[in-house]
Amino acid sequence: MSDERPFDGDDPPWWELKGHARHAACLIAARSGDREALKVLIGDLTPLVWHVTRSYVLDSAAAEDVVQSVWLTLLRNLNSVAEPRALAQWLITTTRREAARVRKVNTRTEPVDDDVLVQFPTDNGLPEPEALRHDRDRQLWAAFRRLSARCQDVIRLTVLAGRAEYGAVAEVLRIPRGSIGPTRGRCLGRLRDMMISEGGSP
Amino acid sequence: MSPTERPPGSTSAGRDPANLATLQETKLLEDLDSLLDLADPVPADLVDRIHFAVDLEDFDVEVARWESIDHMAGVRSHAGPSTITFTVEDLTVMVSLAPGVTGHRFDGWLVPGGPHTIEVRVEGHEASTTTADQGGRFMLDDVPKGFTQIVVHMAAPVGHRQRTVVTPTILR
Repeated sequence: MSDERPFDGDDPPWWELKGHARHAACLIAARSGDREALKVLIGDLTPLVWHVTRSYVLDSAAAEDVVQSVWLTLLRNLNSVAEPRALAQWLITTTRREAARVRKVNTRTEPVDDDVLVQFPTDNGLPEPEALRHDRDRQLWAAFRRLSARCQDVIRLTVLAGRAEYGAVAEVLRIPRGSIGPTRGRCLGRLRDMMISEGGSP
Repeated sequence: MSPTERPPGSTSAGRDPANLATLQETKLLEDLDSLLDLADPVPADLVDRIHFAVDLEDFDVEVARWESIDHMAGVRSHAGPSTITFTVEDLTVMVSLAPGVTGHRFDGWLVPGGPHTIEVRVEGHEASTTTADQGGRFMLDDVPKGFTQIVVHMAAPVGHRQRTVVTPTILR
């Protein structure tokens, strides 16, 4: 046994872990050539990458290519993503950059730099999802899509990063960590107001 | 403190009205969490296509991106010949696909030209491999259908590092 192996001894292997402890262990295993661990990372975190992409890219086929490119780009960076916490952040940042690039190619708009990315408007034209069979789900989804891009980002990323790592969100959105909770609280308040004003229950 | 960091009920502020608000927030966030996947689910075979794309011998790869997504429609629908273009830094890969005997005929052109090795990986089949001519042209006349990825091993002058460029999975 060596001190350099963080998950030997009493630490459980990745398949017995959950959340970001699992992703950290998978990342470390993938670095040493464990293909199964890499597949698990992809399976667990593709929803995060997908939803971040979809907030920029409406075309489903283009969004799928963005998600693939992000994971292929990770291969080269397996060893340079320094710590587990940085994986979610790396994925979100890489996805936003890649998605903005694709969006730029599609819409022929001006080049986008990182500062603009933060204020990038969210598409509100996602098709009305037929999968939502319950009135309340439809109301909630409609209200969510009417929130400002900023609010949608804060909610989407904290919700999704709950599956990965919450701390990444503050850095990606360039909000002080302590402001994320209050900002999200105000956004959820707006969401509730919209639901109530339409006669629904929040 | 955010609800995602502290489970409801784990604090001593059980009767605090602020805690009730936190519980309502937690519920709303849980609903939004499941709603995201319900309203805009990850496409069914996307994870499989990614698993195929990353199943490479060497991870030191550069990723080629679609130059224009307008060109993809024909490829995706198997509607007939279509040209797709990928770029990465200074390399451009153009591939024209046409129906082959049982699969696809690949006619391609790499810029800059040179004796680069082109490997077309198809899930469940042996990879098809060819070498471009000095002008960068290459051809594979019958590549099986299925998840497909193009891997370009760029010819490097002696003493230079060999570069490998990969595309995402391009067909289903």
